[in-house]
Amino acid sequence: MTDFKKIEENLKKEAKRLLESGEVTVVLAYGKGFDEKHPMPFAAKSVADVDNIVFNEYCNYNMARYLVRYPQGTKIAIAVKAADSRAVIQLIQEEKIKKENLVLLGIPVIGMKNPKTDEVIDSKTTCGMHNPVLYDVLLGEEVHGQKIVSPYDVLAEYEAMDKDARWQFWKDQFDKCIRCYACRKACPMCYCDPCFIDQNKPKWADKAPQSPGNIMYHLTRFHHLAGRCIDCGECSRACPVDIPLYLFHKKVAKECEEMFNQVSGMSIEDKPVLVNFRVEDSDKILE
Amino acid sequence: MSRIGVFVCHCGLNIAKTVRVSELAEFAATLPDVVVARDYKFMCSTPGQEMIQRDIKEYKLDRVIVTACSPLMHEKTFRKVIENAGLNQYLLTIVNIREQLSWVTHDIEEGTAKAKALLNGAVYRARLLAPLTSRVIDVNPDVLVVGGGIAGIQAALELANTGTKVYLVEKNSTIGGHMAQFDKTFPTLDCSACILTPKMDAVLQHKNIQMLTYSEVTEVKGYVGNFDITIKQKARYVDHNKCNACLACTEKCPGKGVSEWDEGLVKRKAIYIPFPQAVPQKPVIDRESCTYFIKGKCKLCQKVCEQKAIDFEQQETFSTVKVGAVIVATGYDLMDTKPLVQYGYGQYPGVYHSLEVERLFNSAGPTGGKVTLRDGKEPQSIALLHCIGSRDKNYCEHCSRVCCMYSLKFAHLFKEKTSADVYQFYIDMRAAGKGYEEFYNRLIEEDVKFIRGKGARVTDSEEEPGRLIVEAEDTLTSKFLRVPVDMVVLCPAIVPRADSKDLARLFNLSTDKQGFFMERHPKLAPLATMTEGVFIAGVCQSPKDIPDTVAQAYGAAAEALTIVVKDKMELDATTAMVNPASCCGCQNCVRVCPYSAPSFNVDKRVSEINEALCKGCGLCASVCPTSAIIARHFTNEQVLAEMEGLMEF
Amino acid sequence: MDFEPKILGIACNWCTYTGADLAGTTRLQYPQNVRVVRVMCSSRINPSFIFRALQLGADGVLVGGCHPGDCHYNTGNLYARRRLATTKKILEFAGIEPGRFRVEWISASEGNRFAEVVEEFTTQVKNLGPQTKLKIQE
Repeated sequence: MTDFKKIEENLKKEAKRLLESGEVTVVLAYGKGFDEKHPMPFAAKSVADVDNIVFNEYCNYNMARYLVRYPQGTKIAIAVKAADSRAVIQLIQEEKIKKENLVLLGIPVIGMKNPKTDEVIDSKTTCGMHNPVLYDVLLGEEVHGQKIVSPYDVLAEYEAMDKDARWQFWKDQFDKCIRCYACRKACPMCYCDPCFIDQNKPKWADKAPQSPGNIMYHLTRFHHLAGRCIDCGECSRACPVDIPLYLFHKKVAKECEEMFNQVSGMSIEDKPVLVNFRVEDSDKILE
Repeated sequence: MSRIGVFVCHCGLNIAKTVRVSELAEFAATLPDVVVARDYKFMCSTPGQEMIQRDIKEYKLDRVIVTACSPLMHEKTFRKVIENAGLNQYLLTIVNIREQLSWVTHDIEEGTAKAKALLNGAVYRARLLAPLTSRVIDVNPDVLVVGGGIAGIQAALELANTGTKVYLVEKNSTIGGHMAQFDKTFPTLDCSACILTPKMDAVLQHKNIQMLTYSEVTEVKGYVGNFDITIKQKARYVDHNKCNACLACTEKCPGKGVSEWDEGLVKRKAIYIPFPQAVPQKPVIDRESCTYFIKGKCKLCQKVCEQKAIDFEQQETFSTVKVGAVIVATGYDLMDTKPLVQYGYGQYPGVYHSLEVERLFNSAGPTGGKVTLRDGKEPQSIALLHCIGSRDKNYCEHCSRVCCMYSLKFAHLFKEKTSADVYQFYIDMRAAGKGYEEFYNRLIEEDVKFIRGKGARVTDSEEEPGRLIVEAEDTLTSKFLRVPVDMVVLCPAIVPRADSKDLARLFNLSTDKQGFFMERHPKLAPLATMTEGVFIAGVCQSPKDIPDTVAQAYGAAAEALTIVVKDKMELDATTAMVNPASCCGCQNCVRVCPYSAPSFNVDKRVSEINEALCKGCGLCASVCPTSAIIARHFTNEQVLAEMEGLMEF
Repeated sequence: MDFEPKILGIACNWCTYTGADLAGTTRLQYPQNVRVVRVMCSSRINPSFIFRALQLGADGVLVGGCHPGDCHYNTGNLYARRRLATTKKILEFAGIEPGRFRVEWISASEGNRFAEVVEEFTTQVKNLGPQTKLKIQE
C-alpha cells in the first residue's frame, strides 16, 4: 500500500527545494482543510507555505485545473497523480501550458478514497491508473503488480440497458442538476471563459435548472470534452447531487478510443482527436 | 424590430402548380416583422424586380425574402435588385420552394404546408441578418491554363491576344494533345495537323505565353484573383536553353521505349521528341528506357551533343506562378478495353482501339499512313464496333459523343486507303452536328455496311485461322450475325483522365458521376466551376467534338478575362471573425483551418482571423467552444433561429 | 392519420444542397418531411445544433456533406465526420434512438441519391414514431 506520510514528506522536501532555489514560483499541491478528510487545493508560494502542505488518501483534487490560471511563463511545480499527469499532457497538447515551465512532482498512489463514501477510488469512477504518465520527480515507489481492470468495464451494465431505460436513467440524473457548475469548476479541461452555457448570444439553453437546459448543458459539455476528458472523476466527486457524470465521460472516451485509436492525455505528441482527422477514418463511425 | 418584405414567386406554374402561392403570401403577412407580402408570376422578371424595389422604398423594408427558386440560381440576381434599391445585399434571404419543393412533390397540400415552414424559418433567420461589407481585393492580371491540347491552346492564344500573360502547363513534352494524334477530322476531313500545328507554333512564338511543358501543377493556394500555383518541372535531362534542336542525339540513341504517341504500336528512342512537329522541338530523356539510367553507361547522346545540353544530373524543379484566374482543359483518356475480354483486345492482334487506328492513318505514324495489320498485311474486311464501354450501364452510362462520327471518318479512310469491306456495328447513329448527317449519308453511298446492333463478341475463326468473327444481333432484321473480318476497331468510351481526381482536389472541383469536372450550372454557367476563378473547357468537362471544344475554349478565355481585366474585385463578405471578449484561447480554430486564416495572438491570448485567407466554410465557428467565432451570414444565432422557425410548423 | 415526422436537414452548399437541387431539376419525387437548412460546409455544424434541433421537436436530423476527399474546403468534412460521429455516440448513450440522426455524403451530381436517402430516412423516422425524449414540452 501507498505510504502517504512518506509522499507528504517528499512533497514538502521537493516543494521547499524548488521554491528556495527559485526554480519555481509556485507549487500546486494540497493543504490542510478543516479536517483530515477535507484537504484543500493549495498553492505554496514561499518556503513558509510549505508547512501547510499535506498528502493523504483524500487528496483527490486534480491540481491541473489551476495551471491555466497563471500567466504564461510562470514557473510552476505541480503534484500529479496518474490522471492529473494525463490532464497536464492534454493541456500541453492544447498549448494551454508549456512543459518547459513545469516541474511535475509525480505521485504513484493506490488507495485514494472518496471522502463522501470512504470507498476506495478505482477504475469504476476514474481511469484506474496508479502511476503518473509524465513526471520529473517521483515522490514514491511506482505501483506494480496490480490487476489491470479496464476503466470501461463499469459501462457494461449501462450499455446493456434498453435505450428507453437508459434515457430514463439519464433524464432522472440530469433532472437532479442544480446548475451549480461544480463539475466544470473541478474539471481540468474546462478552461473556457466564458462557458458556452453562460452566453446570451447565442443562447444555447435556458439558465434555469430545468430539464431542457440541463440536458443541453450536459450533452454539449460531453461533446466539448470528447477525446479530452482524462477520466479523473473529479466532476462526479464535486457534484453535490451525485450525478455519475464519469459514466458518460467514460463512454465517450471509450467510443473515441475505438473510433480514433487514441487515448486522451497519454502523449504530448498527440493532437486532440476532434480537431484532427485522418484521411483513412472510416465512414463506419457514422453508422 | 425589422421590416420584412416577402415576395412569393409563381415561376409560371413551376411553383404555383404544387404550392398555393397566394395562400403562402397571406400566411407570410401574419409572421412577425413582415410588413408586406406579395405573390407574382415571375419575380425575376423586370416587373417583378421593380415591384420589390418599389416596396423597399414604400414600406421602408430592411429585409427582403424572395420565395422562389434555389439560391444557387438567382441569389446573385436578387442581391443586385435589393442593392440597387439601397439595401445591403446580405439582407436578402431566398427560400427555395422550386428545386427542393414544388418540383419534387405532386401534392399541393404537402407543398403548401412545407412552404409555410420554410418561409417561417426564413423570417426567423432574416430578422437576425446583418449588413455585410464585401472585401475588395487586388487582382493578378495573369492566367494559368492547364492542359496543352486544342482547348488549352485556343484559350491561351485568345487570352494572349488580348495582352494577357498566360502560363500554359502541359504534362507531356509537347503541346498538341489528342488532336495532334489524329490524321483527319470529321466531317470535313481537314488534315488535323494542318489546322493544329500553326496554332501550336503560334503558342511557341507568342510573347505573352509562357509554355511550361513536361510540367504539372502540384499545389494551389489562394483564391480568385490571387492564386499561387506551384508547378513541377519534371527532369528532362536535356537543358532546353542550350539545345538547338539538331536532334543528333535522337539518331544515335540505342535505347528503345514504347512510343506513347503512337499508342504503343512502335518503339521510340530513349531520347526523343514525340513526333516531328512537336512543340517545343526539343527532346527529353525517358529514364525507363535510357541505357545510361538502366546500366550506368552509354551517354552516346551526350557525346554527339555539340551544345552540351545533355545533363544526366538534372532534377525536377518547382516554381510558383501568381495568377488571377485558371482554365482547366486537361482532356480525356480512352477507356482501357482489356478488361472487356469479350472483345479480345490485347488477345487478338487484329483488334485495335480507335486512337491506334488514328495513328495508322497518319503519314507520320508507325506505318507511314498505310493501313496494315500487325503482320504487315492489308486487311480485306474491317469491323468498327461502336459504344465499347459507352452507353453501357456496366461501364459508362454516358454517350461518348464523337465515336459515331469518327467511325464514319475511319470508314471513309479505310475505303480510300484499302479495298476492304467495312462494317459499322452501331446502336444508334448519332449525327447531330453541322454537316454530320450529310457526312453519314455520304458514307452510306460509299458502300459502307451499316449493321444496327452492338458488337457483342469478337472471337477467332475456327474455319479460317487468323481471321476474327464479330458476333452481333442485327436489330433491324432480328437476325443473329457472325461476320468474319481481318480487323476489328473498338470505339472505347471516353473517360476522365486517370489523374483527374488529383486535379479536382487541387482546384476544389466537383466531379460528376463519370468523374468529369462539373460545371457550376449545366445551362447558365457551363464553363464556370464551384471554385470562383477556375474555369473548364473541352472534354475534361464531358465528351465533345473539336468545334465544341474550341468554342468552350473561347468561352473560358472570355470568362477568365472578365476576372483579370479588372484591377480589383469584390469578394464575398461571408467570412469568419473572432469576438476577442469570448475567445478562451484554445486555438482549435488555428488547428483546423485548411487555409491558415486564424492565428493566435500570443500577447493578447486570443485568436485572430485574416479575412483575406478565410473562405467562409465556418469550420472554426463550430469547433469554437465559446462561440467566440462569428461565421458571418451563418452565425449560430441565425442557424438556430432558422431551425426554430422550420420546426414550428 | 399517419404520423408525418418533421425532419431537419442540414446540407452543405456545394454538394448536398446542389444535389438536392438536381433532384428537383430532374423532377424526382420524394417525401416532403425534410426541411433543409443550408450551410456552406458540413463542418459548420456545431454538435449543439443537433441537440437543439431535437429539443425544438425534430423527429430526426439528416446531415449532408460532400464525399470525403471532395470537400469544397478540402478537409472540412473530414473534421465533420469525427465530430458528428461523436455526436451520434453521445445521443445513443443518452438513450436517443440512433436512427434519428444520420450523416450522408451526397455529391452535387447525386440528385437520385438525395431523393433515395430522404425517402429511406423518412420511413425510418416514421417507424420510430414521434421523438418525445428531447423535445421541449410546451
